[in-house]
Amino acid sequence: MKKLLFLLILILSTSSIFAYDIVHPIGGRAAAMGGSSVASQGLWAMQNNPAGMANLEKISLGLYYENRWLLPETAYKCGAFALPTKFGTLGLSFNQFGSSKYNENKFGLAYAKDFGRYLQIGLQLDYLLLKIGNDYGKFSAVTFELGLQSHITDKLTLGTYIFNPVNFSFEQTLNHEKLPIVMRFGLDYQFTKDFIGQCEIEKDTEREGVSLRGGLEYEAIKNLYIRAGVQTNPGILSFGLGYAIRFAQINVAAQLHNELGASIQIGMIFSIGK
Amino acid sequence: MKRLVIFILSLFTLSFAKAQIAIDTLSTEALNNLLIEQVERLAEDSDEDIDYEDLLENYIFFSENPVNLNSEEVMQLVELRLLTVFQYEELQKYRRYYGDFLFLDELEMVEGFDEPTIAIIRPVVCIEKDQSKDKITLNKMARYGKHQIVGRYEQILEKQQGYLPIDDSTLLAKPNSRYLGSPQKYQLKYTYNYRNKVRAGFVLEKDAGEMFFTDKVSDTIQKLLGSQYHRGFDFVGFHLYAKDMGIVKAAVLGDYQLAYGQGLTLWSGMSFGKAGAGSSVMKQGRGITPKGSASEYAFMRGAAVTLGAGPFSGTVFYSNRLVDANVSVADTLESEAEFVSSLQETGYHRTIGELQDRHAIRQQVVGGHLAFAIAHFEVGYTAHHTWLSVPLELKPSHYNQFYFQGQRLTNQGIDFKYVKGKYAVFGELAMSYNNKAKVVEPVETPTLTQTALRRAQGPAYAGLVGLTVKPAGYLNFTIMYRDYGKAYQNLMSNAFGEGSRNQGQQGIYLGVEAAPAPYWNILAYADQFQFTWLTSQVNAPSRGHDYYLRISHSFNKRANAYLQFRSKTKMKNSTDAFVFSHYPIIYTKNAVRFNINYQIGRDFHGSNKAEYAHYYNEDGSNEHGYFLCQDIAYKPEYKPYSLSFRYAIFDAKDYNARIYAYESDVLYSFSVPALYGKGMRIYLLGKVKLFNALTLYARIGRTIYSDRDEIGNGLTLIEENHKTDIKIEMIWKM
Repeated sequence: MKKLLFLLILILSTSSIFAYDIVHPIGGRAAAMGGSSVASQGLWAMQNNPAGMANLEKISLGLYYENRWLLPETAYKCGAFALPTKFGTLGLSFNQFGSSKYNENKFGLAYAKDFGRYLQIGLQLDYLLLKIGNDYGKFSAVTFELGLQSHITDKLTLGTYIFNPVNFSFEQTLNHEKLPIVMRFGLDYQFTKDFIGQCEIEKDTEREGVSLRGGLEYEAIKNLYIRAGVQTNPGILSFGLGYAIRFAQINVAAQLHNELGASIQIGMIFSIGK
Repeated sequence: MKRLVIFILSLFTLSFAKAQIAIDTLSTEALNNLLIEQVERLAEDSDEDIDYEDLLENYIFFSENPVNLNSEEVMQLVELRLLTVFQYEELQKYRRYYGDFLFLDELEMVEGFDEPTIAIIRPVVCIEKDQSKDKITLNKMARYGKHQIVGRYEQILEKQQGYLPIDDSTLLAKPNSRYLGSPQKYQLKYTYNYRNKVRAGFVLEKDAGEMFFTDKVSDTIQKLLGSQYHRGFDFVGFHLYAKDMGIVKAAVLGDYQLAYGQGLTLWSGMSFGKAGAGSSVMKQGRGITPKGSASEYAFMRGAAVTLGAGPFSGTVFYSNRLVDANVSVADTLESEAEFVSSLQETGYHRTIGELQDRHAIRQQVVGGHLAFAIAHFEVGYTAHHTWLSVPLELKPSHYNQFYFQGQRLTNQGIDFKYVKGKYAVFGELAMSYNNKAKVVEPVETPTLTQTALRRAQGPAYAGLVGLTVKPAGYLNFTIMYRDYGKAYQNLMSNAFGEGSRNQGQQGIYLGVEAAPAPYWNILAYADQFQFTWLTSQVNAPSRGHDYYLRISHSFNKRANAYLQFRSKTKMKNSTDAFVFSHYPIIYTKNAVRFNINYQIGRDFHGSNKAEYAHYYNEDGSNEHGYFLCQDIAYKPEYKPYSLSFRYAIFDAKDYNARIYAYESDVLYSFSVPALYGKGMRIYLLGKVKLFNALTLYARIGRTIYSDRDEIGNGLTLIEENHKTDIKIEMIWKM
């Protein structure tokens, strides 16, 4: 346990970047599929690529909890609400990472619209708030996220997402911290009606290297989904299950990191409407 | 005389009436993508700044002036490597059996013409009755000729070090610390074309930093420069070209390019070299082509004519032009002798030093080419003699011992080609002879200069031979061997090879191109090479290899993607500070790229690219580069405007892990910036057709770095973290 904590502190202290973990694939499905989510649709697309919620049909509310490395100090919580209108889908979201000593918060106002079958565009305006305990203070920033998706063929969907495209930064900083630009793109390929594969690449400008992600989803029994995925940098294997009924769905995932161990993710979505 | 005046006047008036076929409506997407890939590979292969315009002007020319499928002109597509020789043969066979093409769709029925090939050549071919035998009259030329004027302005908006104000005395103390001119670049180009048979044009250019009419310098500077003081357009060129007029197969006056055989003896312009790999390593000499671009170094200026009768054709040419060189005066006991220590190839005349070198010596080339061609076989003989007005004496160094020095150089070579059925065999054998003005006698303990002068003289040989086999329609395989002698010297060669010099190199190339399944394509090659003498920054004979693999797939007509791997290993001097002798060490650069192009709905096009580059060497340096981008283009059909946009981020610690990414640009202009450091790159390109004849392009691009506060060094230093470039172009067609 001590070793783990030490490692964790090491990781957090070596990265001089705040708002570092807040840009992170959300949802039990994404977590189970190695984090790949940029070409996915649904409520959590609001956080992963807002374009993906353009065709949402029902009013939806989602809750997500992630217990990273099974440490309460690295919990990730997220709540989101989406309202489809005839002008497009509107969304509200709140994300929080960390504990009372150190936490990163993101408040988002999202909007997505589809332009025919081929093009969906999404936008989320963000207010970021970073709180560090022991009187170090609060730091805030305003930025936005942009995404687009395109159904190229019946089976192939492409998605691109950029967080903080014009490189906004914190108004005040402790140590010249920079807000990263995060860019992802990837594809979703429907091999058969019940079998989906996804892959994507992510570059975070304040991190070394790129992260590659891939995942598979198989609808084993009607409404029951089995998922698995892999991610590089950091190297993680992930597995998960999902169950969907008419007004709710629940997705759980487990991610395994060689040194840091396991993380558990749970996401729930409730929807009203036809 | 009167007739001529009427002719010229009517050229300008009558052609207004002529209706234009809008080229824009044709989809040049596939052709563009092909060129983009090749240009990117070319950029990766060479360290120098490349003038793509010169290389690509022919492609653009034919996309605006398509060749007639029912004529011999189709050969020009082989010369441009858009078709393979095998495809050309099939095309001719088809015409022999079924007669002339009536529809472009007939191409699908020709053996070896798959969907991608047709998509590529579609915009550059048309169907007409063969008119090559028609008589050309002045009246027709005036009535049906096409005129085009292109004006372009470009500038980097941030203040660069070279443009900051300076007082005279400081400048005189450090004469090359400032550009004398303004930071704008201007170019004006006029071209005339009558059915691809008669072409004429001129080009005027001023590069950024060169002095324009409005720029002023003080009297002292002006006096210092003396006769080298120059204002206004720095480069002026013109050409007048005609072809297929009786026995005159081609004739040109003014600026032109020559390309024969495999490029080992004479290939004056640029060539794709390894970049156009695959079965196309076999080159197809274009003979005489007019040069309309503003590239300032590799070209001929003078006159050339090709006469042909039956299977024979013969070319004679003469070129006489001033080139940039650094002239020095050697004070020997006997006399004062002028010599040049290097020939400048950049074409820039911005600083006092560059202006002093401007057009300093005269280069004359005279030569010819004889060819004999029957159905499947072709053989040619080329010879030329170069003469410099002032002898070249390089700064002595070990690596340049065998480089050309002196005043006169003779080159000659024989090339051949045999294409039949499944086989194509090609090759060229060339020889150079350096006729030095003064013969250097052997000395007991010679200096480096003396050995170099001795080594650089006398005859030397170079040769290459290759074979392409096409066992089936979907597969072809190429093997090629080259051996360029270490003393082989040629100022006008451009044959296949590693690096830019066709000298002191041996290598074997294997390439394969296959379509293993519908919608799948594989291109792969391996090239293994050795340098038989030292090269620049490599202090010993060295070796290396270059591997390439590209797998491409079309999902449907709207989307295609490719995955590309490249690995290149070469040698370079160690830069380790703790090593006394700088011996060469091995370095490797690997790169993986994924690219996808797709159409979104009817009017939008998208493209994504991800690239990873890894550089490492024996010194222990280990560098990574990453690049991601999203392109969106809005090109509404039947609308006179379009817009393209790119958003990209890059992260490459050092120049060694740099990433080249092609960018859309204004028409006739090409940019493939090398990105390194950390930051983002965006650009917006707009095009609007104001009325039928006038089209306007504008582009603004910006690179923003997050890891530095100043960009560049020396004269191009910018004390900010961003660099903004703008371009505006106007094209007038009638």
